[in-house]
Amino acid sequence: MNLTREDLIQSDATMNQMRNMVYYLERFMKINDVSEIREKLRRMGRNIARTYMNYWKPIDFVNLTNVRDVITTIYKKILNSTVSVELDEIEKVVRVKDNDCSLCKYPFNDIEVAGCEIIAAMISEFISLINEEKSLITLQPIDIHESRTFGNKFCLHSFKYAEGGA
Amino acid sequence: MGAVQWLLKKVTKVFGRNTNSLFYVLLYREILKEVNEITKNEEDSVIILREIGKQAATESCERHTAVFKWMPGSPKKIVEYFELLWVVVFGKELEEGDLTYQEIPKEGSKYNDYIVKIKSCPLCAGYGLDNEDTFNFQKVKSKDSEGFACGLTGMLESVANFILKIKRNDYRINIVEQKCIAKGEESLQFMCKIYDTIEWKNLMSTQIQDKIKSGVNFEEILEDEVVQETKLDIIDKLQEVLSLDKIEDLLDEPLEGIKEKVAEIIEDKLNMETEHFFDYFRNYEDDLIRIIGFLSIHLLNEYGGLIEKILENDTFAKIAGYLFKQLRDFALLFVPIDVINDYHQLLVNFLDGLAPAEMVDNVKQFSGKDDINYLFEGAQMALENLGIDFSELKDNVWEELRKEREDGLIPSDQSMMEKTEENIPKLIKIMQEILMLFSDILTLPIRVLISEGHYGLKTAINSVVSEEEGLFGSIHIKLDNIFDQIQEIRK
Repeated sequence: MNLTREDLIQSDATMNQMRNMVYYLERFMKINDVSEIREKLRRMGRNIARTYMNYWKPIDFVNLTNVRDVITTIYKKILNSTVSVELDEIEKVVRVKDNDCSLCKYPFNDIEVAGCEIIAAMISEFISLINEEKSLITLQPIDIHESRTFGNKFCLHSFKYAEGGA
Repeated sequence: MGAVQWLLKKVTKVFGRNTNSLFYVLLYREILKEVNEITKNEEDSVIILREIGKQAATESCERHTAVFKWMPGSPKKIVEYFELLWVVVFGKELEEGDLTYQEIPKEGSKYNDYIVKIKSCPLCAGYGLDNEDTFNFQKVKSKDSEGFACGLTGMLESVANFILKIKRNDYRINIVEQKCIAKGEESLQFMCKIYDTIEWKNLMSTQIQDKIKSGVNFEEILEDEVVQETKLDIIDKLQEVLSLDKIEDLLDEPLEGIKEKVAEIIEDKLNMETEHFFDYFRNYEDDLIRIIGFLSIHLLNEYGGLIEKILENDTFAKIAGYLFKQLRDFALLFVPIDVINDYHQLLVNFLDGLAPAEMVDNVKQFSGKDDINYLFEGAQMALENLGIDFSELKDNVWEELRKEREDGLIPSDQSMMEKTEENIPKLIKIMQEILMLFSDILTLPIRVLISEGHYGLKTAINSVVSEEEGLFGSIHIKLDNIFDQIQEIRK
């Protein structure tokens, strides 16, 4: 009997080599003059979330009260990352700090877009899909400028949030 | 599976950065789709994904050369170790009986060809059922075209050839995906062909740019033939003689016998003086002790994989994690220092005469307390490897016993501790049992030293495993009590 995607949720896979594939994809995009590489990576992340949600959903709704816990749960369950999540209610920004990002480890001089744009877009899409019918909160990923890919010690994924689906 | 292969699989997984397998597979799918966005040609996309896989794997291998020194150096062995390659690349072990080999005789060639069949392909699992599975494998029609696992195949081929390269072997392996479930075939199937240098160069002479029809650009990376000489070459020789099975044989003999045997192996197989061999570990004595802790846990697990099976259950894994943490925390507080020093003396006795005097002196500089800490560090790595996620454990068992949140989410804040007064007596009882258990275990070195001159380590172990009066019986009863108490609390 062949495996199913439900089966895959129960197991782990090693990202060491897959992580590199993301950067070779970026290089392939660059030499073929693909514009908007960041948007392409985000599209990948959104597609991952859409499929993933068919097999796992962390909770039925997300609001400002539980958004930090939901984000922590998604990072832990999908990416095996233990992150710290900060909610800045003045600037309306959620900041996620990942010291062991699954898509970034080594700095690359020739790379301008961090691989973890995929993750940020996936998270934001997850929240949107969970709240599809409720419009309680939406997250919009902000461009990643701090990443291990750029030589930083951690990856910082930031999201502008809006309540009420604005 | 041989012990070395088993150990390497464990080591590979320990050093890997894991995510959920579904995330891995979906990311892989998205990479293929993005490649196809550029080529607009499914057959070209498959070729390019294979090359991207090759480049990604080569880069990863180059960062971890030392790990691959442990791998076998002959192409036939590498094909036989296909499952290990799979674990290196994918990080997920195959189910029992999922992988089958077929050897295809090849006239006039030193090596035969091999067909490797994998019944359940994780990449193809459920492919086509979701709206985002838009890459159309029906458009990959050419009979020589690979399937969904093309990128993975490229990675496997690169890892195999990287090993051969660092082992200075002149042969190379070509791995091709012959059958793909996403293309409608019944299983994933690879063809592995072994080529000598000249044949391989001919095979590789066709540029990717010439293979693709869509006219997109692709930057190929040429194989670097220069291999740096490294100190780790002794591992190649060691691997012939050092397996967990052989370690087990050694334990049948007394300490002096073990020392003689170890010296014999080092001198015969490595053509080195024992002192010279141990000199490699000089100034890294602490790591040597950590490795002992690591291997001890894995050695215990070798007997039917009992530890790993127990730890598959999340609750048992957590219980074991807390027990281990408590043992570690309380050991140095409550166990008499004389007992710990007995262990330290045993280690010094073992190294004395085998290792250089300076190394023995360095080990002597450690205290029994240091030894225990290093051993626990190594053991913790092994337990993590076998299924205990220490990062998930709370600061203490009280917090774990707290009622779980109804929404099933993980709190982003540090956990809030709620002490449940009614459980305290039971918890104290658990602590008592743990301390007694630990004291029992620590009587082992005295038994070993006493029996050394008479019956050797085996006698000591026999005295330990006697179900009625030995240490095993005592441990067994105490563990039973501990589990009973934990069960009570969880109710």
